[in-house]
This record gives sequence, structure tokens and C-alpha cells, in this order.
Amino acid sequence: MTSLERNNVKVLGAGEQAMVFVHGFGCDQHMWRLVAPAFESYYRTVLLDLVGAGQSALAAYDPARYATLQAHADDILAVLAELNLRDVVLVGHSVSAMIVMLAAIEEPERVARLVFVAPSPRYLNDGGYTGGFEPADIDELLEAMDSNYLGWSGSITPVIMGHPERPELAQELNNSFCRTDPTIARHFARVTFLSDNRADLPRLRRPSLIVQCAYDALAPRAVGDYLHRQLPGSTLVVIDTSGHCPHLSAPKATIGAIEHFLAVEPA
Amino acid sequence: MSTDDKEQLPALDLRLTEENVDELYENAPCGYCSCLPDGTLVKLNQTLLGWLGYAREELVARRCLQELLTVGGRLHYETHCAPLLLIQDQVREISYQLLRHDGTTVPVLMNAILLRDADGQPLVIRVTLFDITDRRKYEQELLRAKAEAEDQRELLAVKNEELMRINAELDNFVYTASHDLKQPASNMVGLFEELKRTATFHDPEASGMVSMFEDALRQILGTIEGMTDVVQLQRQPDQLAVEPIGLQSFTEDIIRSLQPLVVPPAVFTLDFAAVPTLRLPRTSLHSTLYNLLSNALKYTVSGRLPQVWVSTSLEAGSAVLTVRDNGRGIDLQRHGQEVFQLFRRFHPEVDGSGMGLYLVRRLVQQAGGRVEVDSVVDEGTTFRLYLPV
Repeated sequence: MTSLERNNVKVLGAGEQAMVFVHGFGCDQHMWRLVAPAFESYYRTVLLDLVGAGQSALAAYDPARYATLQAHADDILAVLAELNLRDVVLVGHSVSAMIVMLAAIEEPERVARLVFVAPSPRYLNDGGYTGGFEPADIDELLEAMDSNYLGWSGSITPVIMGHPERPELAQELNNSFCRTDPTIARHFARVTFLSDNRADLPRLRRPSLIVQCAYDALAPRAVGDYLHRQLPGSTLVVIDTSGHCPHLSAPKATIGAIEHFLAVEPA
Repeated sequence: MSTDDKEQLPALDLRLTEENVDELYENAPCGYCSCLPDGTLVKLNQTLLGWLGYAREELVARRCLQELLTVGGRLHYETHCAPLLLIQDQVREISYQLLRHDGTTVPVLMNAILLRDADGQPLVIRVTLFDITDRRKYEQELLRAKAEAEDQRELLAVKNEELMRINAELDNFVYTASHDLKQPASNMVGLFEELKRTATFHDPEASGMVSMFEDALRQILGTIEGMTDVVQLQRQPDQLAVEPIGLQSFTEDIIRSLQPLVVPPAVFTLDFAAVPTLRLPRTSLHSTLYNLLSNALKYTVSGRLPQVWVSTSLEAGSAVLTVRDNGRGIDLQRHGQEVFQLFRRFHPEVDGSGMGLYLVRRLVQQAGGRVEVDSVVDEGTTFRLYLPV
């Protein structure tokens, strides 16, 4: 299987330089549908699903390999290599901000600039550092995910797979986007919320944009400020929106901030 | 409802049509709330306020929906539910815990829709919440049972592995033991022959003891042989080459090798007209027939001329090899299928290792067939081997 198949890669847009969008925990590449099209006239836009999410090859999810974010970073580098891309703009949301950062640290020649949407290098409080969460909160999240097995997880997928003669079963499902296998989602939740990439921040040698939401329970202002201080050559833009997904709740402002950072002339 | 139905309603029930919409909203058997796109609460019904234990003014415009969830639920909402709402304008059947004013929780199932203004911008989120306290208890019970089942399965897998290992070790042990015993036992046979030739015994009972010693030696060798066969079978099933075997001469050879055992001689009747040849591994068929025939000769009734019938027939696509004797028989009512178990013996007064019939069944099953047994005590036993053609 090629990495393009494995990560369900979609390439659109016209342009020399490529812009690669990576979704965060809990969703898939559909998250970018209000933002990515805005860049299609200037960039080759590349959308993908992290292994274990969306329409990626779920069978490729080996918990031992994906026990760290680095494995996802390596997947992204494999996609860039297969598409023969260099000097790309990497855009990562939430946990994938750190994933794309790891990719840029590993192979800087492939990456020109980075956009971090609602990033956090560490979700747990740790000594003097305020990440916003305690370990018990993460256990509670896992519990919430368990009790939502039927609601948003792919535990229904085997039923659909078992009835290829009834494709309407798939359409009857609620919440058809961002579905994933519950066991994988659980594992990825753990990897995400227990990750700590603070030590990696000073190793980034590329300019970056931090898109910070004004009111975000997952990545509060203090975390954005911390990142801005620790990331050499970073720009911080606070978007007046609440929640963790400015690319969905405030797409225009998010597009504007990215365009400004990339010095794209608005159409 | 069709017009016909309406006409049929009794006059009394028309009171139902006067159901007050505001009253229905406030005291519906489910919680309602409306929020701004960022989750800020703008409207809640009385039912929901009752569950939460808050006054309306404590929540409206002051708190948002996410803040009424446990931290884990809020993480789930922000990373999954909120983006989903903005992508597909609705979410359904999401399970959360609502935080009450007093710190306790109430489990709910949430449906929500996102309404947009004329420009397509998010305007308001309408949320319906169902109290699922009882259902949640069942679900938790199910989750617990599932976790327990998984633990048990893991435990079983470990135990299974352990048993497989022990089994393999036992096989190895039996193989090594039989192998190591074979040589010295054979040496004993040779040495005893030599001793008989050269030594002179003066005791009048010596000749009796000599023949008893020889019997015991033969038994030891037979047991070792059987052990080796059983282990070989366990070790390399179905590796053997299948070949067509002419039954007449094959059976006659075996009978010839058995005759020295039989005093007085037995009468054999062979009839392979229906199926003259069988396709089996030569060693398997030899071991099978040898065991069945030697049993027929061993478990005879004293004073009765031993008779053995060996024949073949065709039955519903199977070749049936039948071995019948007029010996002591086995009480099948009592022992049933135990006859095929390893080391199971029914006539302790006759020498035997308890491995013969076990081997027979294993070999026949390996060939894709099955064995049936009929027996009447004091009249005889019939073994039928059903083999694929």
C-alpha cells in the first residue's frame, strides 16, 4: 500500500508550492472544508487522514508504532516524499500542530513554513506549566468515548462491512463524518493527551504561525503565549472565537491570518 | 392523521388539541436548550433546569453548554461534537454526563441541530437531552462484562499457550523415553536368548519362569512400540503418502505375522469383493488392521473357536472396512466411547497397552474417516471403519 492510500491523501488546487492540511484528534480531513478551498488558487492543497482516522487504512494502525506522535510525523514525511514535495506549508490542527512540527524538525528541507491551529505542546498541568488538564480528566474523556461507542465510533463499521448488499446501512448512520474505530480512538486519545513536546519547540528552524482562539478550553491563551515564547520565529494571532476549531467556527478570520502570514494577496 | 381519523375522535378527547405549546416546551419529558454557536446558553426549559438544579438567570447568557459537561465530556465536545455540528449541522445520540449544581451528574443522550442565518452563518444550536440514568447503568454493566470477558479471554490464551507447551513437552518426554527404552529392551531380548542357549537351569520350575520372562519382555517391547507410534502420530499428522493398497494380500500378510500368537489357531474369513483396494498411507492401514486383528485374537472366549471376519462394502459414498469377531465383547452401555481413549482398558486379565484403539481412531480420522463399534458381551465385537473413497 502506498502512503497516499494509507493516509487517504487528496490533492487539489493549482500552484507551485504545496500546502498540506493535517486534522487533529476527534475528526478527519473534512475539518478543513471551509479553509482549504480558499488556498486552491495559489497552492497545491494536500488533504490527508491520519492513520486510524477517517478513511485511512485502519488496519495499518499498529498501537506499538503509533504510541508516539513521531510515527504520524513520519507518515506525513512519507506522503511528502511520495508526492515529491519540498518547501511546503504544513498546517496542523490541535495535536497535529505538534505532529507537523516534528516532521519539520526531522526533514527541514521539505518544509518552508508552518501554521499551528489551536496548538498545545502539553495538555496536562506539569509543575509550573499550565496545560489545562489533570490525568483524571483524560480518564474521564476515555470514559466519555467508551460510552459513545455507538454514537460516533466505527464499532458499527463491522456491521456495515458484513452487509455489502445493504449500502444504505452506511448512510443511515448518524454523525457520518469523523467516525473512527473506538479502540484506535481510545489509543490515539491517550497518545495525544499524554504527549509532551515542549522540549522539541526550540528545535524548529522554520517560521511558524500560531492561530490561537480567544476562548479555547483545550488550548487556552496561556498555552499559546508559552508556544510563542518557546518557538523561535513564531507569529501569534488571536482569533476572536471560542472553542477549539477556529477553521470551522471562524473560517474567514482563520483564512485571513494564514494569508497574511504567507503574504498571499487576498483574492 | 387523516380526516377520517379526526372525525372518529370522541368529543371528550378534543381537550387534547388544546395542549399549550409553551407548557409543552417547559415541562416536556426531555430537556431542551438553545445556545449561541459558541455554546452560550440562551434558553432552557424547566425540565432541564430541574435536572440541573440551577435557576434560569444563573445560566442564561452566563454559562455555555460545554460547561455543564464533565471535563472528559467537554474534551469530547470540543474535539468531536462541536466540529461535527459545524460540518454537518447536526449531531445525534451523543452520550454525556451533565453536571448538576450540587456536583452530582445525570447521564444524558444528546441530539443537536445547528440553524444558520440567511447568509449561511451559524445562528443557534438547538439541543434535546434525554435522561438515560437506567440505560447507562445497563451500559456500564455491559462495558464491565465486556472488559471482564476480554480479561478472561487473555487469561485463557495464556493458559492455552501453557497447555500447548506442556503437551509438547510431554510428547517429547514420551518420545525420548520410548526411544531410550527401546535399545536396552532389545538388548535384553538378545541377551536372554543367549543366556537360554548357554545356561543350564536345574530348578524344575525354571522353564515356566523362562517363558513368563519372555512374555513380560514381549509386553515391554509392545508397549514401547505403541508409545512410539502414538507420539509419531501426534508429531507429524497427515505427512504420509497415500497409495492404493490391495486388501487381500495385505491382510493375509498381517494375519501371518499374528499367527504365532494364536493358540489354538483362529478361522479368518476375508471378503474384499466390494472394495478390493483402499487408498491410504501404507503404515496407517497396517497399524489399524494389525491392532484390530490382534485385539480379535487376544480377547477370545476360552473353549470357543476364535473366528474373525474381515470384509469391505460400499455405503453412501464411503468404503466400509469391517472387522468382526466372536470374542468377549465390550459392555458399550457402560463404557461407550471410552473404548477409543488412550490407556483405557476393559480386560485387565489380558495383556495390552491401552493404545491400540486410540491409534486406530486417530489414524482413521486422519484419513478423513470415522470408526463405529458394536459389541455384545460374550458374543463378539464389530468395528466398522468408514473411509472416504
